[in-house]
Amino acid sequence: MTTLEHQVGSHPIPNPQKSLITKLHMGTGLVIGAIFAFGTYYWLRSGQDMTVARNVNKVLLISMFMWSFGFMLGIGAFIGPFRWLIGKDLTAEEQLFLAGEGQGVSRYFRYCTDHKVVGIQYLVGVMAMLGVGGTLAMMIRTNLISPGSKFVTPVIYNSLVGLHGITMIVAMIVVSTGPFGNFILPIMIGARDMAFPRLNALSWWVLFTAIPVLCSAWFLGGIPTGWTAYAPLSVQAGPGMNAFVATIIIFAISTAVAGANITATVVTMRAKGMKWNRVPIFVIGATMSVALAIPAFPTFMVSMIMTALDRTAGTTYFDANFGGSGWLYAHLFWIMGHPEVYVILLPGVAILMEVAPVFVRKPLFSYTAAILGFAGIAGLSVLVWAHHMYMSGWLPMLNGPFMVTTEMISVPTGLIFLVILGTLWRGKPWMKLPMLSVYAFLWNMLIGGVTGVYLSDVPADNYLHGSMYVTAHFHYTLMGAALTGAIAGLVYWFPKMTGRMLNERAGYISFWFTQIGFQILFLGMFIAGAEGQPRRVADYAAVYRNSDRISTMGAYLIGTGMITLLWAVVHSWRKGAIAPMNPWGAKTLEWTVPFPVPLENFDEAPIITSDPYGYGRSEK
Amino acid sequence: MSSHDHEVEEVLPPTPGDRVITFLKRKDVVQSFVLGIFFTLVFVILGRDFYPKWMPTIMSTDMKANEALMVAFTYISAPVCGVVLGIATYTFLNRHTGDTPPEDGPAIRTNTPVVVVWGIVSSLMALLAIIWGLVELNVGSEAAASEARTAMVVEVTGSQWVWTFKYPAQGIETHELNLPIDQPVIFDVISSDVNHSFWPVQLGVKVDANRLQTTVVHTTPTKLGAIDVKCAELCGLYHAYMETTGQIMTAADFNNWVTAQGGHVA
Repeated sequence: MTTLEHQVGSHPIPNPQKSLITKLHMGTGLVIGAIFAFGTYYWLRSGQDMTVARNVNKVLLISMFMWSFGFMLGIGAFIGPFRWLIGKDLTAEEQLFLAGEGQGVSRYFRYCTDHKVVGIQYLVGVMAMLGVGGTLAMMIRTNLISPGSKFVTPVIYNSLVGLHGITMIVAMIVVSTGPFGNFILPIMIGARDMAFPRLNALSWWVLFTAIPVLCSAWFLGGIPTGWTAYAPLSVQAGPGMNAFVATIIIFAISTAVAGANITATVVTMRAKGMKWNRVPIFVIGATMSVALAIPAFPTFMVSMIMTALDRTAGTTYFDANFGGSGWLYAHLFWIMGHPEVYVILLPGVAILMEVAPVFVRKPLFSYTAAILGFAGIAGLSVLVWAHHMYMSGWLPMLNGPFMVTTEMISVPTGLIFLVILGTLWRGKPWMKLPMLSVYAFLWNMLIGGVTGVYLSDVPADNYLHGSMYVTAHFHYTLMGAALTGAIAGLVYWFPKMTGRMLNERAGYISFWFTQIGFQILFLGMFIAGAEGQPRRVADYAAVYRNSDRISTMGAYLIGTGMITLLWAVVHSWRKGAIAPMNPWGAKTLEWTVPFPVPLENFDEAPIITSDPYGYGRSEK
Repeated sequence: MSSHDHEVEEVLPPTPGDRVITFLKRKDVVQSFVLGIFFTLVFVILGRDFYPKWMPTIMSTDMKANEALMVAFTYISAPVCGVVLGIATYTFLNRHTGDTPPEDGPAIRTNTPVVVVWGIVSSLMALLAIIWGLVELNVGSEAAASEARTAMVVEVTGSQWVWTFKYPAQGIETHELNLPIDQPVIFDVISSDVNHSFWPVQLGVKVDANRLQTTVVHTTPTKLGAIDVKCAELCGLYHAYMETTGQIMTAADFNNWVTAQGGHVA
């Protein structure tokens, strides 16, 4: 057991004198980024006819990228690479400084290479993004409270829909692999840090620069396209669209770096004796998720570069008038888009699989089936993208094959259910918050999965495509399953990340408000979809009044639950009960290190002799 | 452990049949089974009632097939939901509360027959869904081929934010979609700007409207009454208001309407 006094301690605070590194932090990044952005903007603007949309797009896009570049320069991201150019590297003292040793809170605002700092940065960043996305969702539901409601104008409504969508997607992609993949995962595998600590800092701060860019969309007239940003609507759209394009390109760089880093860490830095069949299942799920993102996201980036070129340089990739095609965009988008939903889902599920054995005190049921399930989902997910295009009119003869691959995904998904049910079977689940999330997952994923089978079927999709039914379906999988898993992870690892226990009562209140509100919201939305209400509509006919009103009430319950969770996190982080080293009695390595986790995690490199699921009394 | 072992040693090695019977008599199995049956029934009732209750009037052969398929899929998935929710609820009822962890449960690491059977059954169910869907698709395309000879053509144009219907054989152009009953109809759909999605709701068909690319969808209206036409693809500012209505009419009414619009009866 350890207490908060057992801090910093033995190491002297490094002091690399006169090094530029010590003078750079988030503040200098913001200043230099702003100078780059506005400097570029006013400089480029002066020579251009700003009444031409193409010139506006060009100036804005370049300014946004210059912001990102300037920020990274200002925070010191390029000092290391620059030293390499002149044949040197950071000194040992500088490296120790970058690792944040002995700097207290200020290290969270620096280009810090310690994986635990990056994990906390991701956690706070993700919570901020979810907060913004959730607020947008509340505004959407408020506008839909009754037909003809004039809470917001259609322009603002469409922007709300698009920004809610993309903010949530970005947040959900990193919600588990960001905080837990960086903070917990290296400790779990017995590593001293990530394989590429500087790239780790890079991935977070690059993602950070995308956030103001995305927010700027709001002030540039919003985005009219939804998060799918279909061309040619996106090519026609106003200046706010540039913010969307720039965000995705920046975000794709961040995820590529993070994905390569996590994958390399897991492949090369596992503790001695941690064979592949002894790796904790969260590590497997998180790695499959980020590894799946590596081939998937570049197509999104490419589609955005092409959109940017169509908007600025006069190319016609997506303009049918000149031989382009909107279908090309749809393909590029969904080749990313369908693996992407599993990039979101897998780590959430993996967290719940990690949690279940601990709270049931039984081994994970059929580790092999879990791996097969993950691998089957990841493998099939790259072959199903055109099920989003059944109704696009693009080659209807291929609808059959895509229906086959899509429905095959239900088989590995079934294995995921088997693993969790098998783990629960004949156990006495300890009803702590993470365990409740496992049950919430089973219900939500069941509904999400079954409705997914309807949607994958072409004749049913004839009716349901583009309706509220689809929206309800994917919220069941992404929010009901993946976010529930991430919240379980937050509660489960909160003691290790903050040294304190999450306030349990507030956690329960939040859980029930959120989950009950969730069922009400999306039951209403399933009904609205079955009744024939299209998605993404700012207004609707009177026949959908009841179902939409039910949905809005459910949304407010979720809002209440999420605010409670936020309060619980903030309050517990500051004043919660001090956590013991291993409050849940788990057997994975992260519970063997004290809080605060020392730099480089382990005094002595751990040696692994079995998998971490050795619970249970043996019986014949 | 030891007392349990004694019991096993005293009796003869059980036959597979005995083991199945012993398994089925276990309290946890019986409980899960009863709960499973309960949840299966819940979903069967849900399947029977949900879509017929909430979906709009069936006004075409396609809509009828869509709804039948969704009802059937809910029936098929009902036992799956029953198994999952039955086991989950049974374990939930056995929960442990308090601030100390429960005792360890049995160390069941895997059970090969269960994994294999689970895999095979879920594969068969997926196969059933796949075959069903493919058969429906095939029926649909055969119907299209046979209807094509006698079908009436309507050229649908989506533009921000209005639907336009052109009846080439009748020589009229309108913003409301009126169709004669029991007459196969082919919609040639195109967009004059961004993507839209043509959705005559009660007819149960849908296809995107793309710029300079005609997409085709067909159906046969089978019931008289009003229909709604909506746009199912976000198309910009007034996407929500890009809707119109129409009527499925008797052939005589349709011809009168065509004449009143200044067209000629084909």
